[in-house]
Amino acid sequence: MGTFPETKRTFTPLRCNHCQNAPCERICPVSALHYIENGIVNIDKERCIGCAGCVMACPYGAIYIDPETNTADKCTYCAHRIASAMMPSCVVACPVEANIFGDLDDPTSNISKYIQSYQGGVQVRKPEKGTNPHHFYVGGGNVTLNPLASHRAEGHSLFNKLTSKMPIGGHH
Amino acid sequence: MVHETLSATNAVVTLDVGLPGIVWPWLVTINMWAKSIGTGVIFMLFFLLRKYPHDARDLRFPTTVVSIVFIHIFLLFTLADLHQPFRMWHIFFYPHWTSAITVGAWMATLFVGLLFLLAFFSFIKKDNAAFDRLLMWVTILAIPVTLYTAGLMSQCTARELWQMPTESAQMMLAALLAGSATMILLGGKQLSFEAKSTLGVVLGLSALFAFILYMAELIFGPMKAEEVGAVLAYIKGDGEYATLFWVGQWVAYLLPMLFVMLSRVGKSESILKLAALLALAGLWVVKHVWLMIPQLLPMS
Ligand code: SF4
Ligand code: SF4
Repeated sequence: MGTFPETKRTFTPLRCNHCQNAPCERICPVSALHYIENGIVNIDKERCIGCAGCVMACPYGAIYIDPETNTADKCTYCAHRIASAMMPSCVVACPVEANIFGDLDDPTSNISKYIQSYQGGVQVRKPEKGTNPHHFYVGGGNVTLNPLASHRAEGHSLFNKLTSKMPIGGHH
Repeated sequence: MVHETLSATNAVVTLDVGLPGIVWPWLVTINMWAKSIGTGVIFMLFFLLRKYPHDARDLRFPTTVVSIVFIHIFLLFTLADLHQPFRMWHIFFYPHWTSAITVGAWMATLFVGLLFLLAFFSFIKKDNAAFDRLLMWVTILAIPVTLYTAGLMSQCTARELWQMPTESAQMMLAALLAGSATMILLGGKQLSFEAKSTLGVVLGLSALFAFILYMAELIFGPMKAEEVGAVLAYIKGDGEYATLFWVGQWVAYLLPMLFVMLSRVGKSESILKLAALLALAGLWVVKHVWLMIPQLLPMS
């Protein structure tokens, strides 16, 4: 980001936001996308018919058709690990603890305390879409969170050269 | 999920979001186009049987067949677009009623059933009274069957361009345009020039209103939403779909309007048929461009 030569690289995880009012869940014709009790938007791949409605509905590009299973897939916050009282893999793997995960309904949880301590600096992506995302960003800039701010007319940028099995779903 | 292994480095690229790309391809364009014809001819048959009952008396069965054929094209391409087509039955056994896809699939299935009943009344039972009674209900059902795709497009929260009020108007106009065009071509000797001319008026007015809506979107859309502006840039200037967009507008709307007027002035059926053919071909292009452009914009 920035203007040459004053540029720098930043990294921001842009995964599924587990929206409280999730367009992907609403549009799924077979409830393959569904809420689980803890608020996670989960996917049942056996149920999915691969209509790609969810891919068209998610304003964050967070969901795709897996070219290997031909069904929709996305970050599930490792719902299977949460069910066994483990943290999501990304939380465990990140060396600088950039991902903080927890129960937003519990005011004493790490995530609740973290959000409270950064009042005023907490953002969600595309709030105007009315999706009520459950994924919050502290210190995320417009360029990283708003695709239009870094939009390149010629297309996307980092993974332009990928040619095989791209998770975009189009068999065109 | 592993997506690419770069052999030189053995580096593995793993993505947590999808790449921008076309998710709903041309198969979905055919879906919308064929459905417009399938429901549009039913609207037109209903209209003709009231306004020109004598002319239209022998069109009951042919129109039903055309509707059945195009609704099946619509269903076939819907199925072909699924990545798991053999799981289509899930829609009927695990329906999720907030989804326009579910509602549409159920309504389309009922519609097909009723079309076959119409065919039975007209071809086997030869009972015009029963046909006409049922046709009224089929025509009423054809309205939501036409509109549900607009509902689906507006449920695509990521695609700001597709707004419900406009898309529903566009779906109805597309059905009226395609229905009148098909009936002009199907009418043959049975429909008088007067009846065909009236269909021409429906065609011309549908083209005019649809064109106005597209132009309104093109000019005023970017003033309301940044995202719409970014999407419409693909059909402006030297945008990727600019040429195709204007080809569609001319072939589907402007030329048919002109030819409908010329056919009325010159009392020429051939010019009217040309307008009908152009409208049908152009509608595919228009629908295709509108389907593609919001998908070009990266969401992440
Ligand atoms: S971010 Fe996208 S995929 Fe995730 S819950 Fe929201 S709409 Fe669904
Ligand atoms: S692709 Fe699968 S998960 Fe997505 S809306 Fe269709 S059935 Fe649901």
